[in-house]
Amino acid sequence: MKTYEVFLKKAGKDEFQHAGSLDAPDDAMALLYARDSYCRRGEGDQMWLVERSHLLVADETILAVTHDQPHRHNDGSVIAARRRAQREEVTS
Amino acid sequence: MNDPSDLSTGEREYLLAFADDEHLVGSRHAEWIGTAPFLEEDLSFCSIAQDELGHAIALYDFLTDDLDRFALLRAPEEYRSCVLAEASCAPWDEALVRHWLYDEAESLRWAALETSRLAGLAALARRVEREEAFHLEHSRSLIRRMLHGPETARATIVDALVRLLPIAQSVWDPVEGEADALASGLCSMSSRQLGEAWSGAINALLADCAVPPSEVAAAEPSGASGSSRLRRSDGFAAYLARLQEVISIEPTATW
Repeated sequence: MKTYEVFLKKAGKDEFQHAGSLDAPDDAMALLYARDSYCRRGEGDQMWLVERSHLLVADETILAVTHDQPHRHNDGSVIAARRRAQREEVTS
Repeated sequence: MNDPSDLSTGEREYLLAFADDEHLVGSRHAEWIGTAPFLEEDLSFCSIAQDELGHAIALYDFLTDDLDRFALLRAPEEYRSCVLAEASCAPWDEALVRHWLYDEAESLRWAALETSRLAGLAALARRVEREEAFHLEHSRSLIRRMLHGPETARATIVDALVRLLPIAQSVWDPVEGEADALASGLCSMSSRQLGEAWSGAINALLADCAVPPSEVAAAEPSGASGSSRLRRSDGFAAYLARLQEVISIEPTATW
């Protein structure tokens, strides 16, 4: 048996989302099982399957650096605080 | 809701045989809920069971206004299901082989209703055939893989075929009403014609998987007159009693 990852996409602008994974003996059966396991109520209009062994998996050393770079973490809070302050200045 | 009075007695008997087959096969398939050999197959097999029960409901709808009572509370001798549909199939390999043998037959039977004089039935047949394409792909893929697989896998399928091929012929035992259904244009092909097409499909896949006819019983249509559908197979009454367990608690309940 091989393990597959299943992705579904609804019509429109929504992107593909990971739906789950499954085991199947081959690609053709994987497509059937994916349909029955994840898409039997029309959950998607498009479906991707990829064999898990074909995924490129990033290791911790690649990801570690980005945790330690606060200057990249722009969640908008600084600008929001500045705008709020300006609004208060104008109305007061 | 269809109007049952649209059908002659013979036509009703013909549809009843098909509906009861779908009902019994769907119920038998559903016994594997939670116990199929792996989760993905469990989901797929149960989904197929649900489809077959759905087909039974759609067919019963041409025959009755009281679905639950009609489907579940008839006397055993009033059913017209075939031996293949009624059979208890375990282990799993037998359930899989029955699924394949039955669905090869089922898709041919629906095809013979595609041009039915009854517009509702023809529309139903065309809708169901889309589902049947998946059922067939599912069963054929698994049967092929197992027959091409390790010797133990091949042997379990061959053993199941040896048991089930002879009783699979029962699908093509016509009810008396078939003559009426053919004459009126309710269906377009006789059981004998369909049975020949079925044997061709079964034998082609087996040949493709290097299973010689000598290894399994030959799949030839029986063409016998006097239908085995008038007799229930051993254990049917007990099985029906199990199907009736819930509805018997309160037969007038609305679900």
